[in-house]
Amino acid sequence: MEMLDLAGWHPIAASSDLPTRHVFHGQLLGREFAVWRADDGFVNVWENRCLHRGVRLSLGLNDGRELRCLYHGWRYSSRSAGCTYIPAHPADAPARTICNRTYDAVEAAGMVWSSVAPEAEFALPEVLAGADPLVLRPVPVNAAPGVALALAEGLLPDARAIGAASVSFAEAGLVVFVQPLDAHRCVLRGVLLAQPDDRMAALRYHDGVLCGLRDRIEASGEVAPPPLEVGFQPVDAALAEMPARARSGPKAELRVQVARKWDAAQDVAGFQLRAVRGVLPAFQPGAHIDVHLPNGMSRQYSITNAPGESDYTIGVKRDAAGRGGSVCLHGDVREGDVLAISAPRNNFPLRRDSEKVLLIAGGIGITPMLAMAQALQVQGIPYALHVFARSEAHVPFADRLAGLAVTRHLGLDAAGTGAVLGDILSGYAFSHHVYVCGPAPMLTATREIAAGAGWPEEAVHFEYFANPEVIDDSTSFEIALARSAMTLQVPAGRSILEVLQENGVDVPSSCEQGACGTCVCGVLEGEPEHQDVYLSAAERAANDQIMTCVSRARSARLVLDI
Amino acid sequence: MKLYDFELHAECYAARLMLSLLGVTYQTEAVDFYPEAAHLAPEFRAINPLGRLPLLEDGTLRFGTVQGILSYLAAAYDPTGHWAPDTAVLRGEVAGWMAVAGELAATAGQARLIETMFADGDAEAARAGAEALLRVIDQHLWFGEVEGRDWLCSATHPTIADIACFPHVVLSEDGGISRQDYPAIRRWIDRVKRLEGFTVMSGVFPTSSAL
Amino acid sequence: MMAQPCTDTVMLEHWHPVVSLDELRGAGRCRTVLLDRPVEIVRAAGGARVLCDSAPVQTLVQYGYVWASFGTAPAPLFPFPEFDEADRRFVVTGVFGVQVSAGRAIENFLDMGHFPYVHTGILGEEPHTEVKEYDVEISQSRDEILATRCRFYQPKAAVSSDEGADVEYIYRVPHPNCSVLYKSSPVDETRLDAIYIFVQPMGQEKIRAHTGMCIIDDASTDLDIRSFQQTIFGQDKPILENQYPRRLPLDPRAETPIRADKSAIAYRRWLAAKGLGWGVIPAGA
Repeated sequence: MEMLDLAGWHPIAASSDLPTRHVFHGQLLGREFAVWRADDGFVNVWENRCLHRGVRLSLGLNDGRELRCLYHGWRYSSRSAGCTYIPAHPADAPARTICNRTYDAVEAAGMVWSSVAPEAEFALPEVLAGADPLVLRPVPVNAAPGVALALAEGLLPDARAIGAASVSFAEAGLVVFVQPLDAHRCVLRGVLLAQPDDRMAALRYHDGVLCGLRDRIEASGEVAPPPLEVGFQPVDAALAEMPARARSGPKAELRVQVARKWDAAQDVAGFQLRAVRGVLPAFQPGAHIDVHLPNGMSRQYSITNAPGESDYTIGVKRDAAGRGGSVCLHGDVREGDVLAISAPRNNFPLRRDSEKVLLIAGGIGITPMLAMAQALQVQGIPYALHVFARSEAHVPFADRLAGLAVTRHLGLDAAGTGAVLGDILSGYAFSHHVYVCGPAPMLTATREIAAGAGWPEEAVHFEYFANPEVIDDSTSFEIALARSAMTLQVPAGRSILEVLQENGVDVPSSCEQGACGTCVCGVLEGEPEHQDVYLSAAERAANDQIMTCVSRARSARLVLDI
Repeated sequence: MKLYDFELHAECYAARLMLSLLGVTYQTEAVDFYPEAAHLAPEFRAINPLGRLPLLEDGTLRFGTVQGILSYLAAAYDPTGHWAPDTAVLRGEVAGWMAVAGELAATAGQARLIETMFADGDAEAARAGAEALLRVIDQHLWFGEVEGRDWLCSATHPTIADIACFPHVVLSEDGGISRQDYPAIRRWIDRVKRLEGFTVMSGVFPTSSAL
Repeated sequence: MMAQPCTDTVMLEHWHPVVSLDELRGAGRCRTVLLDRPVEIVRAAGGARVLCDSAPVQTLVQYGYVWASFGTAPAPLFPFPEFDEADRRFVVTGVFGVQVSAGRAIENFLDMGHFPYVHTGILGEEPHTEVKEYDVEISQSRDEILATRCRFYQPKAAVSSDEGADVEYIYRVPHPNCSVLYKSSPVDETRLDAIYIFVQPMGQEKIRAHTGMCIIDDASTDLDIRSFQQTIFGQDKPILENQYPRRLPLDPRAETPIRADKSAIAYRRWLAAKGLGWGVIPAGA
């Protein structure tokens, strides 16, 4: 039957069905939808099913930026529908491919339109073009859509079927769309093509007409067919396996346009990056992207955004003495330019099973802290953001700090910074966590002071911009790849990562300085010589993982879990 | 003040919700409504001859129906007079929706008792009765939103009528009644959940905070 | 209205609970549905008789329940030694009807990650949401799933304290539709309370969930214990009834497990290995 054509666009909700912070329970052709409007107005139409255990997301909580599943608290971002947080594993970043099924949606003429399997872009039905329509109350009917449509055509004498699922009554200025919920249920969505003089009277009168029609349809005695059998798209094979603690993922390359470039602070440029097509993948607080630069370099920058925002915003500090990435971004990249970036990767995940979170940011190290502070603020978890900078003019993204629990510490020398850190870090208690990002000396100081104040190592989380250590690559040794059944030689002057990549073993990597954690690999045998700044002392001592970009072997041979 | 109570009983929840919204402190005494049917035992009938929950005791006063409890609490403990408003129009409206709440108990409430606690009765008939009521309530609330009215009665604030109807509506799925076809009711549920002093019961969850 | 009766041999060759002796004692007889067949249970010498279309059905009285089977040679019922320990109290906390498959209900019973969200303030509380690593094994000799070293943060973990702490759990699944959990007794931390769910599959998507406990506690009344367990079950019920599809999918790619779901993964594999095809969506279906 034409009414059950999966490619067609149908109205699935009225705009007024979607007040902020609400989740509407919709349906089209047997597929259930959770439909919700984010605080920025974006309308999300998702399969009504949490990918984890199948619970309806229409039971979930719309916090304005993310939808939280009622069952296990999984959070899904507006727009991308990507999972941003799994509370059962607070220390892990969710695999970024965990993404709900979304459906296309267009808000037009006071209604939200969607399609199960669109073959064409949405086009507003001609009858509505140029109209200032008044949307009537939707009237659900327990009858087959085709039966409803046929009886609707008898409603008024001048009926004219338009499209596959609607009837126009030109004299009354009324169009009735029949939204097929399922084979045996539908909704009559009436629209008056012009605003009547007495709006309430018109709404009530036509509601009476549609209810009368519903009653006649339901009384018609036509036996409704059984519900449609809906198959569920299987999840990605990689998600079906119980995941190990791996952090790597596919290297998706994305194209973004620089929507805005501005001075975010002295010597810091802000870049707002917008998808050239479609929607950018969900990011989690602490995540970074690799930005591929016109000069051939690739650099890592933290995403500063609050949950649910559509563009990625990054901050780039100009470093004339650096390797040239920041100079290129400051000097050569302009608004409107298109850049290639990686999908967000999170090696600095934010635990949210905390009674209190301390965020300590030094200079440009504020960028991941901003994303964390905004996420904690939205979720209502107690936190304090401490920003260290030379002066107010050196505090990046001061506009985003408004409304956050922030304390500024300006113009302090090393001793002054140490004293303030001592104050901030006094009073450790169970379930407190501290996150720190900034220049290497500040990270070192924070870690020492925290340790002295009784913070356990697992409660202190840090991210280096770069590895301040000098890497010794003078040794040579053998690596055996347990899963790939290969044995390779790592000569002096080459890294494990380079040798792996030269031999066709795909290992994701990013900073290649032992700072970001992307190229981590499990160690099954042998003793690594750690030269990174990513692993904690306890993780180093365990000798069961290695940063393949900088670390080497003390033993003659390493067996890697790859 | 003491409430004779059973956690999973919809009308006991109406009483607890009202007490919570009014900020009144009270004790509860659990009555084994299911599986023991202790509300029908002679000991309980000695206190409430109707053999019915909830029962509220305030000093020497006793109220043994949910309508009585809500009306009494609002009149005695709400200095604003909002919950049981005193104008002619609102008195009529409140009484009308309180009657609908009673019909919801006999339909949606009964379907729930049949499906979850194996009470006697015709679940299909109970559901059909409930769906007919929910259609009317949804229509009423939809026009309310258009007219700028958020609640069942025409006041700018909720009344005991909302509280009397809420438990049966929010627990309807227990009786096999989906609320998918009642979008205006679903939004009204969110509004009730955002009232200051709102409290949940087993099977009812909070919603997100308003913008 | 009754669906085509179940012909799945895995289900037919098991014993299924149909009524608690507590309930039968009060009512004398009980009519219910098992595997899409109407059954009637009547008191009789030795406990009870079960009838289907007036014909006798194999009947067993054990662990405070009447069990029935339509099979030719149903395997003996699983061991539940705590039921016979003299210093434990046996409390039937009730039977509730739920529109869901037995598998979904058992999986929910095994799940700890939902405690802070569904049993807020009782079995868990934000921000303490972590499911720590635990062990799961499928015991070949006993043909049951065993999850051990499970720990989860519980507010007011003990009667003697208002403080929250990690509580230990052990979960057993000795029957496709039955599970028993053991958790530290709030009264005596050296002992474990046993809490069970015995699911009576009325149909593929409709169950009666029988719950109760064998506990070390002489302070609480039966009513207190019942109220507590009913509150917990009442919180799970709307979640279960909103799982979609209602039958338990056995295809690994139907849903997305995480490490916290190890016991559920083992459970689905165990059911698939048994060849169960009723109340579930078999892999490849």
